[in-house]
Amino acid sequence: MKTVATICRSLPVRALALALTLAGSSLSAAPADTVASVEPEEANVATIPPPALNWFYVDGGWGTTGTSIFDGETGKMRGMVDTSHLSDMAIDPAGKYYYVAESIWSKGGRGTRQDMVSVYDSAELKLQAEIAIPERILIGGRKQTFVLSDDGKIAFVYNLSPASSVNVVDLVKRKFVRNIELPGCASLIPNPGVGFSALCSDGSLATVALGGAKPQITRTAPFFAATDNPIFDNFVYDKSKREAIFLTYTGDIYTAKMGATPVISKPFSLQAAAGIRPGETKPLDLNWYPGGGQMTALHRPTGHLYVLMHMGEYWSHKAEGTEIWKVDVAAQKVVKRIPLKDPMVNVAISQEEKPLLFLNNRKGDGIILDGTTFEEKHKIENAGSGLITVAEPG
Amino acid sequence: MKKFDTDAIGETLLRKFAGRTSRRGILSRLGLAVVAAPVFPLLPVSRADAAKPDRSPEAKTAFARNAQTKDDTKCDYWRYCAIDGALCTCCGGGMHTCPAGAEPSPVSWVGTCINPDDGKAYLIAYRDCCGKPACGQCGCDNTDRETQIYVPQFNNNIIWCFGTSSMEYHCSTAVLVGPAG
Repeated sequence: MKTVATICRSLPVRALALALTLAGSSLSAAPADTVASVEPEEANVATIPPPALNWFYVDGGWGTTGTSIFDGETGKMRGMVDTSHLSDMAIDPAGKYYYVAESIWSKGGRGTRQDMVSVYDSAELKLQAEIAIPERILIGGRKQTFVLSDDGKIAFVYNLSPASSVNVVDLVKRKFVRNIELPGCASLIPNPGVGFSALCSDGSLATVALGGAKPQITRTAPFFAATDNPIFDNFVYDKSKREAIFLTYTGDIYTAKMGATPVISKPFSLQAAAGIRPGETKPLDLNWYPGGGQMTALHRPTGHLYVLMHMGEYWSHKAEGTEIWKVDVAAQKVVKRIPLKDPMVNVAISQEEKPLLFLNNRKGDGIILDGTTFEEKHKIENAGSGLITVAEPG
Repeated sequence: MKKFDTDAIGETLLRKFAGRTSRRGILSRLGLAVVAAPVFPLLPVSRADAAKPDRSPEAKTAFARNAQTKDDTKCDYWRYCAIDGALCTCCGGGMHTCPAGAEPSPVSWVGTCINPDDGKAYLIAYRDCCGKPACGQCGCDNTDRETQIYVPQFNNNIIWCFGTSSMEYHCSTAVLVGPAG
């Protein structure tokens, strides 16, 4: 057992003096029988289970660091992933790791810039490796700037320097592989067996095939108006169907089946699917529009898309949602409209059979709703105002 | 009726950029993007006409209808129609002046805003001031004609501190480039 004298040698004297003062005062205030029953405790560190389907990972938001892990059932925090300012996080589909694409400087705000994918194990949340990469975009709040291949073996990190390119990272060997120039395109989508795809400023979808010695870039015909009616780049991707679902500012919904030549569906109007007038781009036209930050969430098992909607005019695409619209994408029908007590900026849904919804607002307050009754289960102050990530079934 | 021409806006900006910016590493990288533009256009050349918004100055957005020209420390000042961030006018700087110790980014994102005094549209370059901690004053987020990151020159979420000694974001200015179109 360590004596006080031993501890004195091993700890800074001032801190110890404070500790002894506090300990002395609390001991003297406690009843004698309580003191007798107290067992000395050991300081230790918690471990946590692998990512659970009902956990929500909530980024602190712009200007803050850290991504809090909340258990959707209890509303309690389980831990925090070390995400630095303007970083992006992804969950290993095998549940073993959390990956953080980040940029840090050797002297805080200045010094040498270092860009990397940092690897944390999911049990102890300890840093396992840093994979150095060339630069990456600094933006925050975007889901498709750091995506993993469906098997979790490759990461794609978007870069804007301001030339546009993508860094390919081998997560198995933990090595940077190559940088691929991709002018005019961003917002990445994993494309299984091919490489990745990306939305482009000419309204097309580019596909980058990685199988050969050199990456091969092909494009679809332009199908959307990138400047006039953009597709939100926080779209959703369903790896079970290998399909992305796109939503435009006006409320047009497209699906894109991944493959060597992705197939884009004809769009349908979200508002028309709810039985109201379709959204338009002209000003002075008051209507329901999609908006927020992460304004769509997909429940993969049912194919239901949840969209944050607000009443406003065109170009109000960052406005917080006052309703959630639940859309059956295959049937092209809005099956339910759920009014929100307070406007919300981000939405995510757990991938369980009976899902939970997590929403937060720009102040950083979060709520958890039952995905069947839409009753509020928990309210969490200071949950974080940033992106919400959920684990997907293997 | 005059329409906003996004292609012309891009060209004007590149000319301004070429004329004013010193030679740095940033130029070679930007050059890469510009050179590649004819193959993979950075600016949209193909649009679905049905979805084309009315970009005439007469068809004013909600922001333009409520904009004012007197107080440049308020989010509704006319030039701020597509700004996102802290106003440098509230941080010890000015409309085209970075606060002391901050460094202006040589590149910017842009907006096309209507001056309510003459009803005309002007091209505004939103230039970030960099290298100091976030100012934190007068946070605004206006979104007229603001796009997503695959059209970066009209996106206001990107940290535009390229080519500066530090990429730390401090505040944003709104530099008048000239009449739009």
